[in-house]
Amino acid sequence: MTADAPVSREPVFAISTRTVVFGAVGAALYAVLGLFSFLIPGTQSVAVRPAFALVPFFGKQFGVIAGFFTGLVGNMVIDLLQGSGLTYWNWSVANGLVGALAGLIFAYLPPIANEAVRLVAVAIGSLVATALGMLFVITDIWVQGIDFNTFLTINYLPALVANGIAVVILTPALEAIWEPLAKRTGR
Amino acid sequence: MDVTPRYLGAGSALSRRDPRVLLLVPVLYLVAVAGVEDLRAMLACAVLAVAYYRAAGIPWRDVRANWAFMLAFTTILVVVNSIITSADSRSDPSAEVLFTVPVTASPITWATLSYSATLFVRYVTLAMIGFPVAFNIAPSDLGVAFARLGLSQRLAYGVDLTFRFLPSTWASLHETLDAQRVRGYEHGRSRNPVKRLLRLRPVVVPLTVNALIDAEDTVNAMDLRGFGGRHRTWMRELSFDRTDLLTLGGFAVVAAAMVVAKFLGLTGAVWVP
Repeated sequence: MTADAPVSREPVFAISTRTVVFGAVGAALYAVLGLFSFLIPGTQSVAVRPAFALVPFFGKQFGVIAGFFTGLVGNMVIDLLQGSGLTYWNWSVANGLVGALAGLIFAYLPPIANEAVRLVAVAIGSLVATALGMLFVITDIWVQGIDFNTFLTINYLPALVANGIAVVILTPALEAIWEPLAKRTGR
Repeated sequence: MDVTPRYLGAGSALSRRDPRVLLLVPVLYLVAVAGVEDLRAMLACAVLAVAYYRAAGIPWRDVRANWAFMLAFTTILVVVNSIITSADSRSDPSAEVLFTVPVTASPITWATLSYSATLFVRYVTLAMIGFPVAFNIAPSDLGVAFARLGLSQRLAYGVDLTFRFLPSTWASLHETLDAQRVRGYEHGRSRNPVKRLLRLRPVVVPLTVNALIDAEDTVNAMDLRGFGGRHRTWMRELSFDRTDLLTLGGFAVVAAAMVVAKFLGLTGAVWVP
């Protein structure tokens, strides 16, 4: 455990076969595991999804595009399976932005040798990406016709808390298992 | 639980449309109803939404669970946010208070009720327009539809690939759950979200790692077949016919009219009977 750079050495915004396949795998995993969620009463479609931890994880490991794809398409597929169609498209974009921002943050983060510190950095980086990416749901002010206070107290903060807990607990757990495997197999 | 998209509207008027129409209409409808606070204008849009939904020909028995969830969720949402807590509400301070909500002491006026009804109709009609995207587009058409809407050919193929991975991922989830149960895994019934997340680790981590290891084979297979080397062609040819253009044109006119009405201040105020 000596490096924290993403496994892929491609340009940050490259769309390669790896990007497409790992983005699709991430989206499928997010869609399947994302069906296990529960709603926070009194909020506008805010659900705690443990699978949300996959979004920053894929962004970190496979780059900006794969992270964006995992969040965007994964959330869209969940909505399609649940029958919502693309009504909450801006939430899908927000999910995608979380993955993209995680990819950007970890692409430019210097390597960290100590494993414990690295996992803490993963948790913090994922949380920051979640906090920034989810800000996109401010578009609900125009899409749903809500006011700023409603956006902040009913949409954004509950989503941030729910998703924040998921990424702080599960993203470092995924990282701790995958990083040594990836290094050992040269992925 | 079904993890593959259900194609329910086969043979209906909307299923015969180019899938891009079904993707673009919700966007136009969203533009039309965003910011509308006048219940009468919202009801006029609802007529259009009902007609569109009926053209989808989605059998009621197949989606009644979706509708039950949607209506229950929307009702709770509107009642809690707009009436009980007044977190998302409109009221005129000089208007007559009809009653006060116990505990929260939120004053309820005709404006509060009218705005709540507008929100309810908006959410329900958005679902009506959104359901055909979920149930009237064949999953195999989504990739080519996004590609023809300007998305990168590789990413559009990624959308197709995501749907193909769903059944195997679902099977792998069950396999992982069974394997962990044999080792003594129990999900438990705690209501504490942190504990619930911690208990999911033995399922989420191996499922993800296995999926990533398998994905390497897919990457190699696609690279060997020259994926992404040249401009991609699709088996399914898409082209707008006259009905497609009329449908899109109709929704575009409604969206434009509603935007103009909003700028003129005709639909931005809550209607009080």
